[in-house]
Amino acid sequence: MSLTDRLPEDDSGWAFLFGAGCVLLAALFALTPLVASVPGALYVFIEVGILFVVYGMLVLGLDLQYGHTGLVNFGHVVFFAVGAYTVAMVSAQDSFAGISLGYPWPLALVAGVLVAALLGAAVGATSLRLRDDFLAIATLATAEIFYTLFVNFRGIFGGNTGILGVPQPVADLAGDGDTTLVATLLLFGGITAFAFAAVTRLTEAPYGRVLRAIRADELVTRSVGKSVFTYKMQAFVYGAALAGLAGGLFALYTGAISPGFFTIHVTVTVWIGMLLGGASNHRAVLAGLAIIMGLRLLSRFALDVAPVSADAFASIRLIVVGMILVAIIRYRPAGIWGDARELGVDS
Amino acid sequence: MGLAQNLVFGLVTGSYIAIAAIGFTLIYGIVNMINFAYGEYLTIGAFIAILTVGVLPLPLPVAAVVAMAGGGLVSLVLARAFFTPINDTGPVPMLLTSIGLGLALRNAIRLTAGRSARYFDTETTTYRFDGLPELPVGPVNLLGDLFVTSQQLVVLASAVVVFLVLHALLTRTDVGIAMRAMGDNESLARVRGIDTQRIRDSVWILAGVLAALAGVLVGVQTNVNADTGFGYILQILAAAILGGAGSVYGAIAGSYIIGLVLALSAAFLPSGMTGISSAVAFLILVVVLLIKPSGIAGQEVREA
Repeated sequence: MSLTDRLPEDDSGWAFLFGAGCVLLAALFALTPLVASVPGALYVFIEVGILFVVYGMLVLGLDLQYGHTGLVNFGHVVFFAVGAYTVAMVSAQDSFAGISLGYPWPLALVAGVLVAALLGAAVGATSLRLRDDFLAIATLATAEIFYTLFVNFRGIFGGNTGILGVPQPVADLAGDGDTTLVATLLLFGGITAFAFAAVTRLTEAPYGRVLRAIRADELVTRSVGKSVFTYKMQAFVYGAALAGLAGGLFALYTGAISPGFFTIHVTVTVWIGMLLGGASNHRAVLAGLAIIMGLRLLSRFALDVAPVSADAFASIRLIVVGMILVAIIRYRPAGIWGDARELGVDS
Repeated sequence: MGLAQNLVFGLVTGSYIAIAAIGFTLIYGIVNMINFAYGEYLTIGAFIAILTVGVLPLPLPVAAVVAMAGGGLVSLVLARAFFTPINDTGPVPMLLTSIGLGLALRNAIRLTAGRSARYFDTETTTYRFDGLPELPVGPVNLLGDLFVTSQQLVVLASAVVVFLVLHALLTRTDVGIAMRAMGDNESLARVRGIDTQRIRDSVWILAGVLAALAGVLVGVQTNVNADTGFGYILQILAAAILGGAGSVYGAIAGSYIIGLVLALSAAFLPSGMTGISSAVAFLILVVVLLIKPSGIAGQEVREA
């Protein structure tokens, strides 16, 4: 048996291998005296890169919900936020405001994923029977309710200040700032690759076919004896838990969280990434997200040469983002790499 | 502050939410879409009026009419450019398009008008009409310690006028009757010879006019910035769904319920917690969707 026979044969296997490689490299940076030095010009790439892989987990979960199952979750940011807040509240020490229990961070991360999954189950149990656009509104309103709670309950969530003093395990291991950035990007990238492997495995199995059947025609799926609600609920909870994990990791990276990280803009960015790439195709949604976040990167550089203020520039960027969303739906409803026939849309 | 005083606040808030929610619910009932960009129409209306008062300068009632005309035109143009072409793709693409359009509009307003809050010039907001008794500026003492400002009276009176005019429009005019027919059954309305595209256009204009008026009234009450309309969209949505999406009279009832709940929650919540009254409104929205998703008087929104 030669070595090549042992190489993975599918996307899922390759993603798993890639993820393992990333995590190993991250461990190399974090655990050994090996240090990385990042040229100043590349900082912004690495920072946006870390945000990209974190949002990558969000878009993979969302694609499981919308792309495969047809669930219109427009409050995805709430699961991200709840994961981050849970991790911060359980693990932070001596926060200036809000609850900080100071338990070990691995425990906090598990708690973050569980709380996000539980919230997903609660929202799902109550809202998944609603019609598409009303499900969007119910989830969006849920996200707004939590946002308001985060801002207003100072004693619990720290209000606008948020929660400080969250442990930063990667930074503690890696020592200096540059190495931390590189190790974080590799580690989170690895975890996103694992998530990719997991959702790909799930959706390529017969299980995924049931999900797509639900999206295509719920009545027919029910008539062949599948419990549509159970499948929808599972897809919804998986997506929520993955978003909770992303939020928890994000909190452990930034060391402090505040409501400003968890606005509706996160939901919009992730949705546009998914639609731009092509929903129901895991590689495509990540590529779509990369394009929309590349725009963010590009605009940071363009700002230096553009003859307008930073404020005006931020507005222009959001106008462009909004118009991209409008244009995709009108001219390319299946996304750049999506399969129009599979999604059942005319393009 | 007394309970009665909070009831006044609730009625005033309910009034401008109602004016906006009627337009929102008409779009839902007849074009069959949730227009998330609708909050921006309020902002646009308020800014048109503030510009008219400040630059031209025209008295406020005239500026309000200019804003309503502008709002109707903007709404029609945006609908023709963005929503009509994708009319038959279903509710989700329409909703997503409106979210993208709303984001773009909000930032376009911010780009042109800046971030700072804008006010009506108080000189021109004294409500003086020839031949009519002059409305005093500032609080009017009604009963004991109950105060109502003349601005609040203007909002309440505008709402009553809007409801009466709208009721007449929907029951007495051909366009209004055609709108109701389309809301009930579009294909039947088309078979009966109603020009559905023309009625849709009328709905868009009417909705834009109402949103602009609501925006002007918000501006009369307080200041306006680029995010003002967006701040109201979930309350408008909550009111429309509470009343039963698509039902005009339900939307009016839903708006006053939301307005009163907002005002009373501000009265009963401990100080420092008043910020969560908007969460209370959204909670009502979610609860209504769960318990009686068709609202007080609406169409079916659950799937079979």
